[in-house]
Amino acid sequence: MKIAFLGQPNAGKSTIFNGLAGYKTITANFPGQTVNYTISKVRLGDEIFEIVDLPGIYSLTALDKAEIETRNFILSGQADVVINIIDASTLSRSLELTLQIAELQVPMVICLNMIDEAKRKGLDINSEKLSKIFGVPVIETIANKGIGLDKIFTSAKEAYFNKLIPKMQSFHKDIENYISEIEKIIPANFIPKVPIRYLAIKLLEGDRELFEEMKIYNDLLNKVHKIREEIKISHGSPADTVISSERHALTMNIFEEVTKIGEPTKTLREKIDDILTNKYLGYPLLIFILFLIFFMVFEVGKIIEEPIISIFDSFIQKLPQYISPESFSFFIVKGLLEGFSGGLGVAIPYLIPFFIGLTILEDIGYLPRMAFLMDTIMHRIGLHGKSVLPFIVSYGCNVPGVMATRILESPRDRFITAALSVFVPCAARTTVIFGLVGAYIGGVATAALYFFNILIIMILGAIFTKFIPEITPGLIMEIPPLRIPTFKNMLMKTWLRLKDFMLVAWPLLVISSVILSCLEFFQLDILLNKIFSPLVTWILGLPEKSGITLIFGILRKELSMIMLFQAFDTTNLSTVMTKIQMIIFTIFIIFYIPCIGTIGALIKELGTKRTVLIIIISIFIALTLSSLARLILSLF
Amino acid sequence: MKTLVNINDRKKVKILKISGGHRIRQHLQCLGIHIGDIVTIKKSSFLGGPVLLEINGCDVALGKGIASKIEVEELE
Repeated sequence: MKIAFLGQPNAGKSTIFNGLAGYKTITANFPGQTVNYTISKVRLGDEIFEIVDLPGIYSLTALDKAEIETRNFILSGQADVVINIIDASTLSRSLELTLQIAELQVPMVICLNMIDEAKRKGLDINSEKLSKIFGVPVIETIANKGIGLDKIFTSAKEAYFNKLIPKMQSFHKDIENYISEIEKIIPANFIPKVPIRYLAIKLLEGDRELFEEMKIYNDLLNKVHKIREEIKISHGSPADTVISSERHALTMNIFEEVTKIGEPTKTLREKIDDILTNKYLGYPLLIFILFLIFFMVFEVGKIIEEPIISIFDSFIQKLPQYISPESFSFFIVKGLLEGFSGGLGVAIPYLIPFFIGLTILEDIGYLPRMAFLMDTIMHRIGLHGKSVLPFIVSYGCNVPGVMATRILESPRDRFITAALSVFVPCAARTTVIFGLVGAYIGGVATAALYFFNILIIMILGAIFTKFIPEITPGLIMEIPPLRIPTFKNMLMKTWLRLKDFMLVAWPLLVISSVILSCLEFFQLDILLNKIFSPLVTWILGLPEKSGITLIFGILRKELSMIMLFQAFDTTNLSTVMTKIQMIIFTIFIIFYIPCIGTIGALIKELGTKRTVLIIIISIFIALTLSSLARLILSLF
Repeated sequence: MKTLVNINDRKKVKILKISGGHRIRQHLQCLGIHIGDIVTIKKSSFLGGPVLLEINGCDVALGKGIASKIEVEELE
């Protein structure tokens, strides 16, 4: 039996899915997190259930990719039962989707999730009455606490075996007449399994996809156009607006029938929320919270990193005792070990605390509030508040940062945000900044580099907007209530994110490390240095030997610094590079070509053409900025 | 005509008209914002920033661009 979870964004579908299937998808207190659907098999006794976590949608009107995908999935007849997951605290709005799902005439269960939040808002929902209205089971759950989840499978079975198809809710008489007129002329079995009434309503609404499919039925479409005109004249607004206000009216009727509205309990949460988004206090708090997270990341990261690195280092140093240091296999093993320790020792110690911090912010629901606060500033660079999320994530790792651009509605915003995200110094580049500028020059220079980076990103954003003007309407976003994160969810999410990194980025680290080692064995590094020396020495004014480190920085950004020690055969870089050279080197590393993992993510999200464009832009910017830095710094 | 942008904090307003394209109207409807609905302004626009509304117990943030396209009438 295949059970599909369907509901509005942020209703808790993924939380319920994870609660039933074990942790498979990432949940977030941020609307629109799930874009692709996840299928999972769950064994319960002797039965096997297939559960599908569909992306959250507000309606079935095919507004965006997620809605089309979800609609097609249900219409294809693959789902035996639909579980409509509703955030009970937003019942009045959520029922509009329920009405639309009901039109699809598939066995259904209504799941009132977050029933505790509804109570806090003063909503007393009579689920028996709701069940009677729709003729389908209604269950109450509090998914993040795991309450009521056991009822999902039993009620799904009940709905499936008793064929509990939702009762049709009728619109006003005149609209119903129009619907039946169209129903009569739709060719029988035009799309098998799809209810005629659904098609009729969609035609009345002027659904573009359906019109396209039906374009051979000229008479039918003419008739539909005529009826739509008639409605427009008699109701004074376009037919689709009329249908949606009909639905809205129906929804409000049902809502009022099943709900008693009392006084919301004013809680501490509301007071905290008020302060977090306060126009004066909000911004200092935002800076403080971000600072706290980054401080924690680097303090905790350092504690984990040092012992791991020293274990590997001592092992690599002892290696010549076991394998002859001149042999090829020595270089292979050395490369493997260095790549392995690079992932384990450099990236992961910083990623774990970063992901924990990010998860906490996400689960509390701070991220949408941050988007709200940052909206004005983001408009300065031609984006809107929601773009903040990819940027913040990018400080940990650009790969999930680029993937997070999916939450944006317009392709233009996705492109600009992704293009700018790759310039955000991720954990790997941060180790370069700290290890080089931080260690040899000092804290002020390090902080200055970060500010410089933000400034450049903003200027770039403004330039992008000049070329691709802003046409998007701007921010339209639901701000979900603040929630208390659960410890289990936090750990599982951190683990899921880490797993992504380990499966995608870590193998690349190891492979590139081995390649590097081989180059060393065949002494090709000298040749590569020679090829790149015009760029490295003439334009950037860096020592010729640092050339190869820049090439390998594409594979792993932090590798470029680790390799500097190797290339110069020293433990103190200040003996081989001047402070100015270090700054130029670091600026170049921050801005030039995104790492292999990020390029992969860019291709997946934006396509090859745009990725190539971003790479070219990044090379241009890195060269311009570092040669400018060389020019300016040499004046002092 | 007053729009959502020039209403002060904690005021209740009734939505009279939503200008702008069909898509915007649809998007707003999805978030439970319809013509004739009564909404409370939780945070008014500050320095060109977004407006925070409460509608049927949900909070929705609207950028200044959209907020300026929604005509409203202040209640009492």
